[in-house]
Amino acid sequence: MAISGRFVLLVLLGLVPVLLLPGWGSFFAVAAVLAAVAGADLALAGSPGLLQVVRGGPVNVALNAPVHAALTIHNNGRRRVRGSFRDAWQPSAGAADPIQPVDVPAGESRRAAVVLRPFRRGDIKSPHVTFRSFGPMGLAARQRTVTSAGSIRVLPPFNSRRHLPSKLQKLRELDGKAAVQIRGAGTEFDSLRDYVRGDDVRSIDWRATARRSAVVVRTWRPERDRRVLMVLDTSRTAAARIDDETRLDSGLEAALLLGVLAERGGDRVDFLAFDRRARARAGTAGKGNLLGRLVQAMAPLEPELIEMDWAAVPAQVRAVTAHRSLVVLLTSLDGGAPEEGLIPAAAQLAVQHVVVVAAVRDPQLGAMLSERSDAAGVFRAAAAERALLQRAAVSAELRRFGVEVVDAEPHQLPPGLADMYIRLKAAGRL
Amino acid sequence: MTGSVSEADVARDAGPRQAAGPSFRSRLRRHRGLVAFGALVAVGLGLVIWGQLAPKGDVVPLSVSNAGPDGARAVAQILGNHGVQVHDVRNYDAAMAALDASSSPTLLIYDRKGALDGQRLRGLADSSARVVVVSPRLETLRALDGGIRQAGVVPEGTPALDPGCSLPDARAAGQVSGGSGFVYDGGTTCFRPSGSAAGVLAAGADGRLVVLGSTAVLGNERLDELGNAALGLRLLGASPDLVWYLPSLEDMDLTGSPRTLDELAPDWVRFVGPWLVVVALAAIAWRGRRHGPLVFEPLPVVVKAVETAEGRARLYHDNRAMDQARDNLRAGTLSRLAAALRLGPGATAEAIVDAAARQLGTAASTVSDLVNDHPRSEARLVAWVRELHTLEKEVKRR
Repeated sequence: MAISGRFVLLVLLGLVPVLLLPGWGSFFAVAAVLAAVAGADLALAGSPGLLQVVRGGPVNVALNAPVHAALTIHNNGRRRVRGSFRDAWQPSAGAADPIQPVDVPAGESRRAAVVLRPFRRGDIKSPHVTFRSFGPMGLAARQRTVTSAGSIRVLPPFNSRRHLPSKLQKLRELDGKAAVQIRGAGTEFDSLRDYVRGDDVRSIDWRATARRSAVVVRTWRPERDRRVLMVLDTSRTAAARIDDETRLDSGLEAALLLGVLAERGGDRVDFLAFDRRARARAGTAGKGNLLGRLVQAMAPLEPELIEMDWAAVPAQVRAVTAHRSLVVLLTSLDGGAPEEGLIPAAAQLAVQHVVVVAAVRDPQLGAMLSERSDAAGVFRAAAAERALLQRAAVSAELRRFGVEVVDAEPHQLPPGLADMYIRLKAAGRL
Repeated sequence: MTGSVSEADVARDAGPRQAAGPSFRSRLRRHRGLVAFGALVAVGLGLVIWGQLAPKGDVVPLSVSNAGPDGARAVAQILGNHGVQVHDVRNYDAAMAALDASSSPTLLIYDRKGALDGQRLRGLADSSARVVVVSPRLETLRALDGGIRQAGVVPEGTPALDPGCSLPDARAAGQVSGGSGFVYDGGTTCFRPSGSAAGVLAAGADGRLVVLGSTAVLGNERLDELGNAALGLRLLGASPDLVWYLPSLEDMDLTGSPRTLDELAPDWVRFVGPWLVVVALAAIAWRGRRHGPLVFEPLPVVVKAVETAEGRARLYHDNRAMDQARDNLRAGTLSRLAAALRLGPGATAEAIVDAAARQLGTAASTVSDLVNDHPRSEARLVAWVRELHTLEKEVKRR
């Protein structure tokens, strides 16, 4: 039950009879009349419990993009329902107008839509819809909450998309589409063509030249149909916030850029989010485009407050691909003991695969490093220095095992990882 | 094997049963003092509570049934023993009835709070043969119109007062207690403090009105001292009926008091407040009713990454870990110098120092002394770090 502002106004007007006929008798009489009027209005209100909600509208939405969450309200009762409803979207859905008027005649349906502008990645939910049905006088309302679960998946923003054209350009230069094809742009034999001045003499195919009168060179192209497996660490270290986004989000951005780039490069892409168990899997094998599947898999990921099970990672990688692959570990280089977890796992993987460890470096550490004005600043600089030295030591240890390391600040990580991929591809190491 | 086990079980079972009695008794014996103390506290507490809750005896000053120091039970009893009927009355109507019932009554009025107005006082005085007023207020005296006025108090340090007048009662009594009394002027005054024309006892011209300025004369506490008893008995025992009237607040005439704001306001004002409360309640119900249950927001865990480094910095600072800080900064500088000089990760500290010195064109010992310095104070540490920074910048610039 609920009352309206109109009823409060009516109660205020009740002051007039109470003052004209002072006395407790009139006081209670007016109160009783008001209560009776409200009760009558309540009795004449349509039953909100007989309303039925069917949800529709889009299933996916980009972060910070507006979306209309539609719902159809069907009135199964015998009386018209007039009043308001509230679609209970969680606060991060950013509902602009969660409370709206509703007017559904008996036996009919009405459509309504709530405009959402979600500001957090993941699945946003609305567990129920609450109806408030006012009587004909609009004084008192019956209120009932109808369970009707709604859910919209908010996809990761893919801000690193802006790096994609330049990286694709680089990839195309490697690929046969560029004008000049020289040795070093790949290891896979592509075709034979006439020698032009400037070509690397090492790429002259003497056998073909002998058959013809002109000098013939071989052209090369980068390997295709290689495998790229990205393993995203969703353990407790992913919860660390660096520069307004968590490590997890930075890792997602980097994985999206690399995934799209590698797919254009003709490689098979697989994505695995893992801490102690697989949180998400996506890959080229499947329906639809890769980007769509990647963002679908990434959307509900959250950092878990548990330790990464590095010992299980090689087995997970083996389960995804049995062939030599580029394995990208999106994790952190500090926090905990990488010597016990990350380094052995990466070393083990490096035996069969090409392993790249991509980690976010905190730019705040650099800022702390330059604080040298007083004793407190010097101690801060010393602490930052220690953290950076530890990272450097871990990076060096990883490189000793033949693991490539991309250690970059949050916004530099996706292009840095893409560059590493292009470099490895160009060098024919995939 | 089984036999021994069962025996052990039996012993374990029997143990507590046998120990139960003695252990309880011994525990009681051990805490005997504590139990006794607890009982004492409980009894004391009970007595105090009972004393507070029990109905009190009469504590009204100069009441004939008050046996306390400021009561007047003694003088009333003595008067009663000598054939004087003492009527103990507490309100005006009873007093008038008692006065009317007797032929030539003596009236004692002790009106501490000035409850009686002039009209009632005059009525009482007219109905009685003799009026003894104890420590009257200004209004009381003015209403009785006996020509007696207030004249201050008995000076400090006057334990006894001599009669010093021709009044037979006073002469018969001799000295009376003087402490903390009032003195009155007009008519015949007796028991005057030295150097004063006013006295504790003042009698009107016709002798019907007697003003006694001291409650000590009649009080239980000092009745046996000096001539207090004689004066009291002679003043009050002159006639066979004594009306002992101690006016209370209920004798106060309220008809003349000014009208309150409540009486001045119109009738309907009383209902504005309650109705506005009703309106407020309705408004609270209107605005306070939530449109459906709350929904949960699953908040992801987010931790500031630099926290660990900052925590370590605070630890260093709190413990003044200068050696640790120096080692860290030195290692960081050396690694950056090695990178700037392209010496590779395997370069030793000496090699880096030599290369840096060569780069700068200075002696290796200068650079070595700087890099290997051990600052002993915080101020020196800050200066040293600055020098290191300068060195780095110079090496990178060339």
